[in-house]
Amino acid sequence: MIQVKNLTKIYKTTVKGSSFFSDLFNRKYKEVVALDKVSFEIAGNELVGFIGPNGAGKTTTLKILAGILYPTSGQVNVLDYFPFDKKRSFLKQIAFVMGQRNQLLWDLPALDTFQLNKEIYEVSDDRYHQIVDELTSLLNAENLVEKPVKTLSLGERMKMELIATLIHNPKLIFFDEPTIGLDLFSQEIIREFIKKYQKQYRATIMLTSHYMEDVKRLAKRIIVINKGKILYDGNLKEIVQKYSSTKLVTVVLESKIDQIKLSSIGNIISYVFPKVSYKIDRHLIPEKIDLINRLLPYMDLTIEEEPIEEIIKKLFSGKK
Amino acid sequence: MLNTIRYYLRLYLLFTKFAYRTVLQARLGILFFMGAKLVRFAFFFFFILIIFGRKSNFGGYTFNQAILFYLTFNVIDTAAQVLFREVYRFRPMVLSGTFDLILLKPHHPFIRILLGGGDILDLSLLFPYLLLALFFAFKITSITFLSLASYFILIGNGLLIATSFHIIVLALGILTTEVDHTIMIYRDMTIMGRFPFDIYKEPLRGVFTFIIPIGIMMSFPPYALFGLLSPFSYLLSFVISSLLFFGSLKLWDYALKKYQSWGG
Repeated sequence: MIQVKNLTKIYKTTVKGSSFFSDLFNRKYKEVVALDKVSFEIAGNELVGFIGPNGAGKTTTLKILAGILYPTSGQVNVLDYFPFDKKRSFLKQIAFVMGQRNQLLWDLPALDTFQLNKEIYEVSDDRYHQIVDELTSLLNAENLVEKPVKTLSLGERMKMELIATLIHNPKLIFFDEPTIGLDLFSQEIIREFIKKYQKQYRATIMLTSHYMEDVKRLAKRIIVINKGKILYDGNLKEIVQKYSSTKLVTVVLESKIDQIKLSSIGNIISYVFPKVSYKIDRHLIPEKIDLINRLLPYMDLTIEEEPIEEIIKKLFSGKK
Repeated sequence: MLNTIRYYLRLYLLFTKFAYRTVLQARLGILFFMGAKLVRFAFFFFFILIIFGRKSNFGGYTFNQAILFYLTFNVIDTAAQVLFREVYRFRPMVLSGTFDLILLKPHHPFIRILLGGGDILDLSLLFPYLLLALFFAFKITSITFLSLASYFILIGNGLLIATSFHIIVLALGILTTEVDHTIMIYRDMTIMGRFPFDIYKEPLRGVFTFIIPIGIMMSFPPYALFGLLSPFSYLLSFVISSLLFFGSLKLWDYALKKYQSWGG
């Protein structure tokens, strides 16, 4: 469905000169490499999380794939089209949800935007009514469609935006920070919606988010990008195996233990009686568990993987 | 082809309907807007009257002919504003990134950013201007069916030039994120078309024919009506407007390739 090979995007930005006159008559530019020979493929019906810090190149990639931006070099093939050609048949198969923007007509009810999009995407009357009913029901938003958009809360507007964007039942959807700025309750609703929508309509989805929870809950595969380069492309669970060298061992103690004895197990990351947590190298786990059994009287013991957020932070900072 | 025309016509009507509904929400604003437009029109009308109170002709034209130049300017200028009002709102779209959402739609972006904000207020002024222009046209005895047809064809040609200017403004809006001043420069230049084009001396006349064809846009239709245009002038006007139109489309394509999608 998506094939990207050696995709490069370079932005040209102005450099502030030493004086007003040099800015005016001898302006200098610098090139910023937003994407540097990025390659990946995405198959149909996949939901891929695209993560990276600010300025990593996530949104630029999505915008090139959607045909908004023109690539500097490289090959891009989406649904067998070169996206920038903006062919009508291509644009009718994709959708792009931007968490920070919306297409809704501000002074009018969201229903007017739905009807406008119905005409734009040439959706039949029957199909239009069916999809609006289905999506409003999935989002529990039946009572919002007739209110002027300007009177809706941010979370409610996002629900309306989702319906407006998906009214043509696209095959490929780009979600760019769909939960940004929303409260926890609304974030959960949007996540659930994306999950159900993908299952019901078998759409291919690329999702970027600053909230790891979005990616963890929705994506099996992730692409990690930083400074325009792909650092990891694979299964979300495998990233833990590949990049995490430690595990988190938490022991709930039966009684207070001497600090020296506790420290003899390994690197303590927190201790508030009765709970003590250690960060232990993967390959030392059997040995350390044996030591805990022998030295510490405990009620409970858990071994967890390092949080994905930590692993990804390490990836960004180049540590292994 | 017919289906495409029908598709775009349907979208144009829908965008216009929504634009009208939005405008009609601010009733006091409508009052001020219409009042200001009518006052401006009346002032200039009286200005011409005052000139003819002191002189029997203006640049060789009679009172009725001078009024017709002014009304033709108003017809083309107002029609351009009815059609292209959305261009005035393009800058915030680029800066906020809303333009991205327009580029994602399966229609040509011009249907939204060029034609998508039909102006009902200017539309209500267009018909009186057109009727007044016809009234003064019929007061000129030499009018024939052919000259009247030429007049309207050249008004259409003037609108093609106006379209090109607006596309150039949009392209510059993408390249520089500047729209307001560019459109004001265009407006200030077209204002020169309120007077017969031949009152200006060279090289201004050359500039306004070949480089910024305000003369062809505003003065050629009345010239055709008065039977003052040679076949070569007709040809020249169509060639220049076509070149400008295709040039503006090329600039638009170039700007889209350079678009950096701000605000994201």
